[in-house]
Amino acid sequence: MKRKLISLLRIIRSGGNNFIRNAWLSIAATAVMMVALTIILSAVVLNVTARNAVKELSKKIKVTVYLKDDVSEPRRTIIMSRLKAEQGVDDVAYVDRREAERRFKTNVSDGDKVFIEQALALTGNTTLPESLEVSLTDLSKSGAVVKVAKEDGYKDAVDDVSVGKNDVAKETIERATSAQKYIVRGSIFAAVLFAAVSVLIIFNTIRMAIFTRGEEIRIMKLIGATPNYIRGPFLVESCMYGIIAGILANVSVYTAILSLGPKLQNQAEFAQSYNFFTSTGMMFLLLFASVFLGIIVGIVSSLLAMHKHLKLKHW
Amino acid sequence: MILLDRVSKSYNKKGIALERISLHVEPKEFVIIVGTSGAGKSTLLKLLTREEKPTSGKIIVGGIDYERLKDKDIPYLRRKIGVVFQDFKLLPGKTVFENVAFALEIVGLSNKEIRHTVPKVLDLVGLKGKADNYPGELSGGERQRVAIARAVVRQPKILIADEPTGNLDPKHAWDVIRVLEKINHYGTTVLLTTHNQEIVNKLKRRVITITDGHIVSDKSGGSYK
Repeated sequence: MKRKLISLLRIIRSGGNNFIRNAWLSIAATAVMMVALTIILSAVVLNVTARNAVKELSKKIKVTVYLKDDVSEPRRTIIMSRLKAEQGVDDVAYVDRREAERRFKTNVSDGDKVFIEQALALTGNTTLPESLEVSLTDLSKSGAVVKVAKEDGYKDAVDDVSVGKNDVAKETIERATSAQKYIVRGSIFAAVLFAAVSVLIIFNTIRMAIFTRGEEIRIMKLIGATPNYIRGPFLVESCMYGIIAGILANVSVYTAILSLGPKLQNQAEFAQSYNFFTSTGMMFLLLFASVFLGIIVGIVSSLLAMHKHLKLKHW
Repeated sequence: MILLDRVSKSYNKKGIALERISLHVEPKEFVIIVGTSGAGKSTLLKLLTREEKPTSGKIIVGGIDYERLKDKDIPYLRRKIGVVFQDFKLLPGKTVFENVAFALEIVGLSNKEIRHTVPKVLDLVGLKGKADNYPGELSGGERQRVAIARAVVRQPKILIADEPTGNLDPKHAWDVIRVLEKINHYGTTVLLTTHNQEIVNKLKRRVITITDGHIVSDKSGGSYK
């Protein structure tokens, strides 16, 4: 047991020496892997941020169900329950005449007020109607909500249904959703490309190290070194690429998050994502994930190189 | 200690390297294998170190039957056999001490054990005071003695020396042979291949002559012409 531990420590030390001995190749391999991991991490961050932003913006788009005059409370409760049961609905709020009037006074400009008041007078109404405001978690479900509200069974209570208060917000959501799709596709493509490049570079680095140490490896075989003792340093070396690249990728992504975050934190669309990524647990999780991914890429590359060039099967 | 029973080795298309060789070497023997280049001496040694597999026949070394030997056990077999090569096979970037220590590092000996063992072996091969030199700073004879020190530092039962004097002048060649004799004196079985007639004739040990893959003579106190 003691001898195995000593051998393990020697393997780790030898791997470290290889890393330093091939400094330029090691730096190149680590840098490319760092770029690949940074892209992957950025993709995760952008994807989550875009998703949260879309979700947050979706809440601003509400389906308003205008009720007829004198709808009883039990009847209103039935409609609210039915709307709440619909998929993609976040909340259903009742807006009475007084609240509608308050909002009207707060939100509408004086010119518009005169126009709307005149319109109301022409239709014979003196006050704004009661309504149900349906908040959505998924914008694409608005059509389904409208359909429910316009069902024949609710004709006695529902006067009209309107989707969206703000066309600009709706357009922003559509753009964000579309951007999110491009972010996912683009980052998958870039991550695969850079991961392949880093596999090739690490493969080549390990291949060079095997050639450089060819005589040493042959001597090791002849004097009784086990295959694992010979392979070990190459695996350690490639793991070091992964660990260093993973840490650097994390540092670069978090530098971006922490420098941009405070500027965007006041906007509700980004605040949630910022808080999510800057929680201690998530920081450690992303660090662990990127280091783990780096180690996997490193190990796979060096195993491929050793399988092709080390020839340990033929003693 | 070493038993070969009707061992043959042939390489595809290149012909037969060894044909039905039978050989028995007792423990603590000093055996010299002679023959012209390409006679099959090195192939024989490679079979013993399991660098090559025989095409047919049986090999038993130190009680280990090579037929039953699995690939994963080969390193452990090689730890029981010391090997010295004509071209030394030393690592130029390591000192004499480190080259010898290398054989102990791979078996997991602690640094303390290594520091204790290596100087003793360097003393045995007459390299006391050269521990910190690099191979490039040594003469051919000294380099070969470093290689011998590395081969015997784990106290193997068998030492295989494949033309260890091939690259050396007569004086250094005899220095190496004296070291091999000393090691044999301490109880290690030595198998030596050489072309050097003078060494063979003066040593007066068992001499096996191989010609075209066959053993043509096997005599104690033999000579080489």
